[in-house]
Amino acid sequence: MAQIALFGLIANRMVKEAVQIEAGGNYFHFYAAGIVITLLYSMAVFISYDIYEEADHGVIEYLLSLPISRRELVLGRAIGGGLRSFLYVAPLMLIVLLMIGITNPFRILIAFAALFLFAFGVSGMSITIAVSIKSHDRFDILLGALNAFIVRLSTTMYPVAFMPEQYATLAQFNPLTFAADIFRWGAGLEASLLANPFLSVLGILMFFSVFTFLGIIFYERQLEGGGWR
Amino acid sequence: MAIIQTVDLTKKFGNFTAVDHLNLSIEEGEIFGLLGPNGAGKTTTLLMLVTVIKPTKGTAYVDGYDITREPDKARRLIGMAFQDPKLMWVVTPWDVLNWHAKVCGLSSLERKKRVKWALTELGLWENRHKSVHTFSGGMRKRVEIAKILIQRPKIAIVDEPTTQIDIVGKHRIWNMIRTLRDEGSTIILATNELYEADLLSDRVAIMHKGKLLVCDSPKKLKDSIVGGDLIEVILEKEAPKTLIEELEKIDKIVEVLVLKPNHLRIYLNRAEEILPQITEFFIKTHLPIQSIRMSEPSLDDVFAHYTGLTIEEAEKR
Repeated sequence: MAQIALFGLIANRMVKEAVQIEAGGNYFHFYAAGIVITLLYSMAVFISYDIYEEADHGVIEYLLSLPISRRELVLGRAIGGGLRSFLYVAPLMLIVLLMIGITNPFRILIAFAALFLFAFGVSGMSITIAVSIKSHDRFDILLGALNAFIVRLSTTMYPVAFMPEQYATLAQFNPLTFAADIFRWGAGLEASLLANPFLSVLGILMFFSVFTFLGIIFYERQLEGGGWR
Repeated sequence: MAIIQTVDLTKKFGNFTAVDHLNLSIEEGEIFGLLGPNGAGKTTTLLMLVTVIKPTKGTAYVDGYDITREPDKARRLIGMAFQDPKLMWVVTPWDVLNWHAKVCGLSSLERKKRVKWALTELGLWENRHKSVHTFSGGMRKRVEIAKILIQRPKIAIVDEPTTQIDIVGKHRIWNMIRTLRDEGSTIILATNELYEADLLSDRVAIMHKGKLLVCDSPKKLKDSIVGGDLIEVILEKEAPKTLIEELEKIDKIVEVLVLKPNHLRIYLNRAEEILPQITEFFIKTHLPIQSIRMSEPSLDDVFAHYTGLTIEEAEKR
C-alpha cells in the first residue's frame, strides 16, 4: 500500500500542470480514486478462484446438495463475491475519501450503491468467464490479459483528454471508467469526470444486469450439466 | 410405500458406464444399505439422487418428485453426509455446522440446540472452536456426519459413514443413524463395510460394475445361498457311515462332510431352524455330542456368491 501511495505521490509531481487540471486539480486525488476502483475490480474478480477451488476440493458437490435452488446458490455466490470485495476495499475507500474530503454525504451514498452493483457485476463477469473456460490455467492467462486491457483502457489512472483517440473511445465504454467516474463524483472531484455521473450510473446498471444475468445462466447451466466435473 | 424409486437410472462418463440401468425401490422409514466395492457406482447413484449430477438416461422419483424435472423439490427432502468430509472456508466445527444448519433453514434457537447436541454426542464439543484442518481423518468425518444429524432430512444419505473412525466412534454413529431412522428419516447407507450394512440395514442392495446384482433383507440374501449355513459337530465317538446317510436325509441339509471320524461338517440352509432337529437326531442315535458350532454366511459370502469374487478382489479389478 505504501508503495502504491509513494508511486502516486511521485507521479503527481511528475505530471504537467495541464494534466493536473484535467485530473480535477490534483492528480494524486485522481490517482487515489482510480486505485480504489482498480482494487475493487481485482477483488471482485477473485470469486472465480473460489469457484475453481470449490471444484478442485469437491466442496461444490456439498454446495450442490444443499436444500436450496441453483438460482439461490448462484446468486449467493455473485452477491457474496461483490459484497466481500466491497468490504475488503471499504477501509481504503474511506481513507481516500477522508484524504479528498467528503463534501456531500448523499452523493457518497449514491456512489457506494453504484460501486456495490459494479462489484456485483464484476463478480458475475468473472463467474461467466470462469465457467465458460473451465481450465484454471487458461482462466489465469485470459484474466491477466483482460486486466491489462480493462484497467489501462479506462480512466482509472489517466484523464481521458490525454489518451490517444482510439484508447479514449474505448475508455468511454469501459465499466471501470463508469465506476471511477461515479466514485470521483461522490468524492467531489467533478472536474475530472468524463461524462454526466448519471450516465455512469446507467452504464454500471447495464454492466451489472448483463453480467449478473449471464453469470447466473452460465453457472447454472454448468452446474446442472455436471460441467464442473 | 416407496419414497425413492429409480427407473433405469444410468450415468455415463464418456465411454465409461458408472451406473447401468439401475432399478431400485426404497421404502419410507427403512435403513437401506447400498453395498459394493469401490467403483461399483454407489456414490454416483447417490449424487444423482441428491441432484448433484444429472443422469445420462432414466430417472429417479424422490417422494414423487422426478429428479430430472423437479430437482429443487427433490433436493429439499434429502441431506447427504459425504464420503470425504466437505469442509469449507469456515474453519471450526461450530462454524461449519452452524452454517450448514442456517442454509437448511433452522431457526437460531433450534440451530444452537442441535449443533450443541450433535457436537456433544459425537465427542467434538471440547474441540468446537479448533480449526477442522488440524483434525484427524476420523474427527473430520464426524463433523461431516454431524451435518446430517443436525439437518434431520426426510431422506438421509450417508456415504461410508464410519471409515477412519475407531470402534467406539463407529458404535456412536451407528446408534445415531438408528435414532435418525426412529425419528422418521429414511436412511440410505452406502458402504463397503459389509458388517456395518448387515448390522444396520433393513434391506440391502448389492452393486457391482454399475449394476444391481441383488436386493433384499440381509437375512434373505444369506438364506439365498444354497447350503450357505454351516454346523460343525464333534462327537465323543466315531460316527458310522449309515448315520451320515440318514443325516443327509434331513430337510434343508445339503451336504455332510466327514473331516475326522468323529468330526462332521454339515452344509445346510436355515441352520437356526434345523439345529434342534440335528441335536435330537444325535441324542436318538445315542451319539453324545462333544461340541457343536453354528455359523451363517456373511454378506461377504453373499457378494462372493453373486460375483464369484470377494469384495477385495472386486476392488482390485
